[in-house]
Amino acid sequence: MSPHKIRLVRLLLILGVVLVWEFYARVFATSSLSAAPSQVLAELWPKVLGEPRVLNAIGVTLIELVVAFVMSVVFGMLIGVLVGLSDVGRRSFYPIVLLLYGIPQAILLPLFVLMFGLGPAGKIAFGFSHGIFPVIVNTIAGMRNVNPLLMHGAAAMGATRFEQLRYVVFPHMVTAVFTGLRLAMTMTLLGVLLAELFVSQGGIGFFTLLYAETFNPSALIALILTLALMAVALNELVRLVEARFSRWKE
Amino acid sequence: MTGGNVVGANAVSARATGVQAPAITISNVSMTFAGREPSQSVHALDDISLDIRKGEFVCLLGPSGCGKSTLLSIIGGMLQQTVGTVSVNGTPVSSPRPDDIAYVFQESTLFPWYTVLENFRLALKFRGIEEANWRDRAMQSLSAVGMEQFANHYPKQLSVGMKQRINLARGLCVGSEVLLLDEPFAALDEQTRMVLGEDLSILLARRGKTIVFVTHSLAEAVFLADRIVVMTARPGKIKASILVPEPHPRSPDFMLTDAFQNIRKELYGLLRDEIRQTVAAMRLARDAQA
Repeated sequence: MSPHKIRLVRLLLILGVVLVWEFYARVFATSSLSAAPSQVLAELWPKVLGEPRVLNAIGVTLIELVVAFVMSVVFGMLIGVLVGLSDVGRRSFYPIVLLLYGIPQAILLPLFVLMFGLGPAGKIAFGFSHGIFPVIVNTIAGMRNVNPLLMHGAAAMGATRFEQLRYVVFPHMVTAVFTGLRLAMTMTLLGVLLAELFVSQGGIGFFTLLYAETFNPSALIALILTLALMAVALNELVRLVEARFSRWKE
Repeated sequence: MTGGNVVGANAVSARATGVQAPAITISNVSMTFAGREPSQSVHALDDISLDIRKGEFVCLLGPSGCGKSTLLSIIGGMLQQTVGTVSVNGTPVSSPRPDDIAYVFQESTLFPWYTVLENFRLALKFRGIEEANWRDRAMQSLSAVGMEQFANHYPKQLSVGMKQRINLARGLCVGSEVLLLDEPFAALDEQTRMVLGEDLSILLARRGKTIVFVTHSLAEAVFLADRIVVMTARPGKIKASILVPEPHPRSPDFMLTDAFQNIRKELYGLLRDEIRQTVAAMRLARDAQA
């Protein structure tokens, strides 16, 4: 099938699901518990996105997310490179990282709130704790398996240790690191939103709970939709940057 | 002894004139790779001594695993020998010396994430050459192998043969006097290989570089070398040294001459026993494991 046709089929699938949902919500569902897509859209603007306090909350969440993500990337790559540089470092440190990575962090959430408070700091810290691990793990993985021939070649041409890192190891790592970045973006968002839902004084979590507890499903879904679109947009952004660094692979 | 060898014994290499200090001196070099246990250590090279004149083209020929590439790595300072000394231009080698020695490997060592031109610039940068000269030198070397129109391609967009041609040009472009080639054509098909061999002969005739070339191919060795050093099965020793008294650049017609065929036959005779021995040793090792 041509790509064009495949896109058409995909569109029809989505349209079908939306129609089924619309039909179900209008005919069978309780209006205080669920809403049809048309009702959600009507609610989205101007009620939800037109409300300055909601916009402000989205802005705060976005800032929390960006700060947590940037911190994850900077510290994750720094730790990953430092650990990945030596065999001893990798073998002694890596198991610890994997062990920590394996702990379901949700159980640590109350501790984070206790330590960092109810404000943005707690959300950033929790998002950071989610985001940094994929970056570390993928950075370390990326530093391995460099073609030894390329390293030999560089050494024979007189490249210093730093030049070998800069021109051979780092470009080699790009693919793995971006896998880590995309994962980190998803995980950071998860961490920030989890913390928001757990306690919030006016952030996105506050409004999510408010809409749910006041039986306002269309506003709730509208807000969720906004967050989902935000996540997709951010992921695409990381992918665009990745494409810029991967031209040689085409 | 064939006719070719007798003539060669009296003739100084066609390209080297006058008496001068050798470009490469290898004295009593032995190499043992330590294993986890003493019984696993591998004795790769045994007491190799060899002088290579400035401007000479020497082929190292021998059965697989005889230590040809190990010897090349030692000359290039990529490996440290267990015993003996290696000097290039009078100075002992203990680490890579890009100022004197360029290395071309079996597979392309072009960095896949940089374009051809960027690869050349990087080689010149590593070598410590002034940035103002990078572009000119890179383009000159590329046009010397007829690849200048691919300057902005990524290695992935080129065939294996083109990549190796560029790899070779990069080795020449840094301007080192000694060129070490580790089976540079091994990954190529027979026809590409012949064309590249011819090109190499022409290129080198112009520049008078000192070359050590590791190969498995008898014809390649005879076609390219001023002198062929035949090595024994492991541990590698020098079994014979055969001169090829034919001036460079050599035309493909040289391959049709009796002189060429005679040297090739002689090499084959020298190598046959060594190859048998290598195969027998491999069988023995396999049976011991079973």
